[in-house]
Formats: sequence, structure tokens, C-alpha cells
Amino acid sequence: MISRRGALIAGGTGAAVVAGGGVAAYKVATGDKPEPPSPPSVDAQGKLLWRNWSGVQHAYPAARLAPKDEGELAAALKVAQAPIRPVGAGHSFTALAPTNGTLISLDSLSGVVGWEGDEAIVRTGTRLGALGPMLAEKGRALSNLPDINKQSLGGALGTATHGTGARIQAMHGSVTGLRLVTPSGKVIDADATRNPEVFQAARVSLGSLGVITQVRIKTSANRRLRRRVWLEPFEEALAKAEERWAQHRNFEFFAVPFTGLAANISHDETDDPALPRGPDQDTEFLQALRGLRNLLGFATPLRKAAAHALLSTAKPETAVDEGWKLLSTERPVRFNEMEFHLPAEHQLKALAEVVRTIEKERPDVFFPIEARRIAPDDAWLSPFQGGPRGSVAVHAYYRDDFTFLYELIEPIFRRYDGRPHWGKLHTLNGGQLEAIYPRWKDFLAVRRELDPDGRMLNPYLKGLFGLGY
Amino acid sequence: MRRLALLAALGLTLSACGAKTPPPPTPEQALALRPADARLSGLYETSCHACHAIPGTGAPLVHDRAAWDVRWKQGEATLLDHAVQGYNAMPATGQCATCTPADFQALIRFMAGREDSAK
Repeated sequence: MISRRGALIAGGTGAAVVAGGGVAAYKVATGDKPEPPSPPSVDAQGKLLWRNWSGVQHAYPAARLAPKDEGELAAALKVAQAPIRPVGAGHSFTALAPTNGTLISLDSLSGVVGWEGDEAIVRTGTRLGALGPMLAEKGRALSNLPDINKQSLGGALGTATHGTGARIQAMHGSVTGLRLVTPSGKVIDADATRNPEVFQAARVSLGSLGVITQVRIKTSANRRLRRRVWLEPFEEALAKAEERWAQHRNFEFFAVPFTGLAANISHDETDDPALPRGPDQDTEFLQALRGLRNLLGFATPLRKAAAHALLSTAKPETAVDEGWKLLSTERPVRFNEMEFHLPAEHQLKALAEVVRTIEKERPDVFFPIEARRIAPDDAWLSPFQGGPRGSVAVHAYYRDDFTFLYELIEPIFRRYDGRPHWGKLHTLNGGQLEAIYPRWKDFLAVRRELDPDGRMLNPYLKGLFGLGY
Repeated sequence: MRRLALLAALGLTLSACGAKTPPPPTPEQALALRPADARLSGLYETSCHACHAIPGTGAPLVHDRAAWDVRWKQGEATLLDHAVQGYNAMPATGQCATCTPADFQALIRFMAGREDSAK
């Protein structure tokens, strides 16, 4: 349904190209910026480029390690050139991974290595997309998944990555134990009773305490879910969001700027037979929005009218399948992103203000703005510590300018007492973070004990923690 | 000489006309394809498979010669740069933090159905 509309809009863009003719006319007609310049594949010393998923962070590490077991990792950590940074799938937009020292991948430390009842022992190099079928073999599943499933489990936990659901915690909320290898090569097992302070600090720790090699994580029955996607006026979505978070197992919605519309997505458990999801339509929808931006970005009322006419009558989509096949989505269109987690009572006000600001100031934005709800937990650096939080995520196409996130959007989030997603763009550090994390000093004390020389800290992390090494 | 060159060119043209592009793999075949080398297969599984083995992700499908041949014409050096630096929807290095340039080259050849280029 949406894809046919996307094709219509893309056709409109094409007509503009043909009418105008030439490459320059194409650029004017499409409004698309060229591929951003890339750093060279190797630097002057012949070191290979590392770059994050969106392309906004890069480095030329002196060494890259992929230890095959904990012993090899522990031995390597003792002598590795600092800064030592663990890396997963590179999905963080903040500079958590870049290092000119040692980059450590846990790709060789992956898989489910045991079970304790319904809790799985999982190595943290496991990619989330691969973990679903592994757990499903035992009839189990993670209770929730984030929007993207390409990340490593370690990277997702370390940045407090989350899905949506008013009664479901972020991923680290399901972790009941973990194994940490410190920069000195010491192996520490931690849970609520063994080394409890290390456990509370390490559950969300940005890869700054050492390398977490495995976790014990709660699972739930691998149930089928019914997924529904439907469009409606944005104001209606705002008015009904709270009751939908209360009603559905998982609920989120996307405010679609310059359309007056919102896309709602719900998931609920069902015993109905499987009805597979079918081909991805989100990418077509995005292309349609980009086409509208390119053709009518100069006239917001016209753009809104065209969007409403083309998109508002799209039929709802339904799919039924096991949760691990539905909760995450392919995101082949790269972007940069800022996401803050706000006290639940402020979330919708902040979202409405963000949409108004973008529609007033930034007609180049076309990505939908995502609103999710997350249950609280008690990890010291969890953004969800202390009460339920609602997240608002603003995206910018990877070729487009994203400085408006800092200039226009972050001040709104901060006014509503938001905490930033650790892996997504923000400018907070030191005292600003101490003011919004009650256990900030406790975390820094554990960090200092485990890594007194700061070998796990790159310049970004030193600044984030307000440390002057 | 000129006649020889013309004949050679004609021969090449005829031979090109005769060489049919093999059909793309079925979705099931694409999902199952792996490099023969075990280490390379592990890298492929972790970093390439999620996009290049599933139709409709926007990435050229593994062993789909029609999709890969237009890219192959750009030259291996360009494809290697695109793989390392990222290009369009392709994230830099396919997010393989430990792949070497030789690994990328081998993975590109495998996916493009050009493993014979290594010989």
C-alpha cells in the first residue's frame, strides 16, 4: 500500500528531473546531498580505517584484536596499547568506540554457552539478530528487542539499548549476572550477591570497566505476536498514546513531520497461526517522505496537503509471527540520531514541541520521530533508573546536516529532564550527568578501582566522565 | 594487423553474446551460500549475511551476477574502498571490526561470484 504511494512520489521526482534535465537540475529537483566525504581507507602509516555504522565516527586503530577465549582476552588486555576499546557492530553514534590504540572485537566470543533454568548464558559478541533463532531452539526468547537487531549483545547492554513496552525493561534489565575481564586481566563474576557493586556498575558501563564476556539473561516463552501498523492523525495518536501503552504488550508510534500523521505499531501475544510480515515497506515509506521533501520542501502547507492525500488512507498492516522475527526492523537507510529518555509524564509534551520546532525551523527533515516507553530498572547508569521513562528519537538522513539536533532539539529534551541514550548524539558530560544520575559518583569509584590508569578510556569517555587524565 | 584486431574484436563480441548471465539464486539458495574457507565463512556470517543473503534489503544479493557485474566493472579497488569506507546503504567495513583488506577482497569476490579472480 505504502510502497505504491512511494512509487508515485518517486515518479513525481523523476518527472521533475526529466523536465529540468542535467545533473545540476537533478540536484535541485531532488534536494539530495551528495555522499559525504569519506576518510581514506588507510592512513599515512598504513593503518586501516574503522568507521561507525552511520559514518560520523572514525579512527585508525594501531591494533585490532579478536580473542578466541577469555584466557586470550585476559592476556591481551594486560599488554594492549591504550586506549583499549571494545567494539560490537559500530551502531553507536557517539565516540564510544574510536581509538588509535587497541580495538577489541568479541565476534569470536559468541553464542549461547549454557542455561540455568530459563536463564541463558550468552557470550556478548553474539549479534542480536543471531540470538533470536538460538533461543528459539529452546522455545525461549528475549522479552524484548530494540528497533534494530544488528548490534552485538555487549554493545546493546553497555549503552542501555531498549525496545518499547510500558511493562518491559531495557535489555540490561533482564541481566542477572555477568563476567567482566578487567584491564589488568582479572576475571570477575558479578551478580546481585557476588560483587554486587561491580554488577550494578557494569550492567550499563559503556565498555569502560573492562570487557564483559558473557551475561546470564532472563528469557521468556517464545510466543507468537500480532503486529499491527496503522496511520492516523498525529493529534489523535498523541491523545491515545497513554491508553495504548497501557493496553499493548509493545506499543510505539512515529510522528511523521510535515504530514500531520503518525504511524502506530503495536505487538500483542496471540495463538493465531503465523501470518509472515512480508517484504519491508518502511524503506519505501521513507523514500516517499524524502520525495515529498525534495519536491515540496519549499512550501510546508503544500507538502502537508500532498502527504495527507497520498498517505492518510493507507490500509493497516498485520502480521503474526514469533516475536524475534517481528520486533526489530531492517534499516537499510543510514541516519544519525539523537534520543533522550524523559520522565513519562513529560514525554508527549516534549514530542509535540519537537515536532512543532522541526516543522517551523527545519524543512529538510523528513525522518519520522519515534516515541517509545520503557519500564524502570536500578542499574547505576541506566537512563531508566528511578521511574518509567518515555523516549523520543529524532533522526537525520546520513547525507543531511544534523547540527540542528544539538541546537534545537537537545535544549527541549534537557528542559524536560531528559537523559541521553548513551550511544546516540548528545553533548552532556561530567557535572551535567552527575546532576541527573544519583549513583554517578558510585559508578566512577568502581571504575577507578577496576581501571586506575584509565586504559579503557578514549578522549571521548574521559570528557564524558569529567576526568582529567 | 588491422584485420586481425577486427577479427579478435568480433570474436570477443560473439563470445560475450554467447556468455549468458547465470540466473540469480533463489532466496533459499542465497540464505545457504557460504565461502568455502571456514574463517571467511565466519566473517561472512557475522557481517555480510544479514544484508547480502536476503532479497529486498537493497544490497546486491550474493551470487546475483546481474546485480554484481555492474559493480564489478568499477574495479576491485573501488569496491574495496566502498566496503571499507561505506557507501550508500553499505555501512563502513560491513561493521566487521577485524576484517583485513584481503578479507574484504575475498568476501567481495565470493559475493560477486568472482572467486575465480583470486586464481
